[in-house]
Amino acid sequence: MPALSRGDQWRVAWRTMFLQATWNYERQQGLGWAWAFQPVLERLYPDAAQRRERLAEHTAYFNTQPTLASLALGAAAGLEEQRAAGTGPDADGMARVKGVLGAALAALGDRLFWFTLRPFAAALGVLMAVGGSPWGALVLWLCYDSLHLTLRFAGVGMGYRAGPAVLSGALRDRLEGLVRRVAVLGCGVLGILVATLLMPPGGVRMLAWQASLLAGLLFGAIAALRSRPSPTQWGLGLGALCLVAAWRH
Amino acid sequence: MIPDTRWVWTALLGGFATLDATPVGQTLLSQPLVTATALGWMWGDLETALAVGVVLQILAASTLPIGARTPEDYAAGGVAGVAIAIALARAHPFPMAREGAQLLGVLAGMVVASLGVPLVKWQRRRNEGLARWTEAAVRAGDEKALGAATYAGVVLAFGIGVTFTAASVAIGVIGLDGLAGRESLRLAHAWGLAEPLWIGLGIAQMLFAFIQRRLTRAAVFGGSLTVAWIWLVLRTR
Repeated sequence: MPALSRGDQWRVAWRTMFLQATWNYERQQGLGWAWAFQPVLERLYPDAAQRRERLAEHTAYFNTQPTLASLALGAAAGLEEQRAAGTGPDADGMARVKGVLGAALAALGDRLFWFTLRPFAAALGVLMAVGGSPWGALVLWLCYDSLHLTLRFAGVGMGYRAGPAVLSGALRDRLEGLVRRVAVLGCGVLGILVATLLMPPGGVRMLAWQASLLAGLLFGAIAALRSRPSPTQWGLGLGALCLVAAWRH
Repeated sequence: MIPDTRWVWTALLGGFATLDATPVGQTLLSQPLVTATALGWMWGDLETALAVGVVLQILAASTLPIGARTPEDYAAGGVAGVAIAIALARAHPFPMAREGAQLLGVLAGMVVASLGVPLVKWQRRRNEGLARWTEAAVRAGDEKALGAATYAGVVLAFGIGVTFTAASVAIGVIGLDGLAGRESLRLAHAWGLAEPLWIGLGIAQMLFAFIQRRLTRAAVFGGSLTVAWIWLVLRTR
């Protein structure tokens, strides 16, 4: 049975960029998963009928954090290779592995990318923009994508080599450690950002502006304790209040 | 009269940002600070673009696309809000009117981001039909249906992004132009109040995500604020 080449892994990795192109409420990333996985099946199953049967299986429900989906695709590719050789899990076993990997990767990936790295990159970019630099956007993009694109493209190979245990060893420890370090760094960057906002290049802010920033921080602290209203709804409400205040002034 | 092709590029940027937000890549090219910088360069008004982009970016950073949740559409909202602010500032080129334009741009950006939620939900429901068709086609022997469905999803998202951005910018500029001209003083006053409130609101949300009830992280925030403050004070003197 032919093993997956680097070219096959690269094709899978490229297709993970489109994992959410057909995201829907029934199968979520299921269709995107099947399309990303198609090069694996084309390599392993020369028989068209068998390949179509496997492909239809892989359109089932799947959802995880999209960057770390590469690890799950790589691990599933390794299992599919065993299955094609007659030693791997059956369809139900494959579905179970996908389900467990999807949940575990989402739990770590959401914390790493959505809760930590994205706000950190945004804070760094905003800090530069507030300091008068036009390069904040580039810094934001580089800060996030240096890890995002690396894991997206190298993740398939990592998952393929490690198998379903990809997230149980050193990689999990490294990513968990990264979450902690980036969160601490993020606190530091936000502290510098607040100081820079109070004393921007060229002078000190007026007292009214500083008081409004403090009020905003207090509103934000209250808003963060509740899921609703969302920050945007809070923002619209505060904006409307400011308009009323300006009109009555 | 020759129409300015930069309007077309602005609408296309909205389409590309919508693609990056969820369907393709998720590389953060869709974040308001990135699209604001691109629009600022394109329209030659980086100052207005960054003033609006920074506020929308801070609010967008606390909007998380977790699980099946449909977050506010700050990809289209970021492009539309900044484009509206730039257009209004160009139409009324006075410092006070610029601040009014920034306020209207941020408000418009948040409204567009909120209106984008039902649009994204509609798109995801359309994808359910596409998924059912694809599964039937694959079972019937058409393996290329998966690729066709993926490209259809991309084209649909891009088309929605371009149309939604173009409509939002057109309605925003036409609808707010009179207000920006007539009430620039009040709008500038409102901007002075709202800008720090919005920034504070967003920063607190991000801080909450970082701290996670750990005292040492709160201490890092307080320590870095104090040290940076002292350094900035000394530098100013």
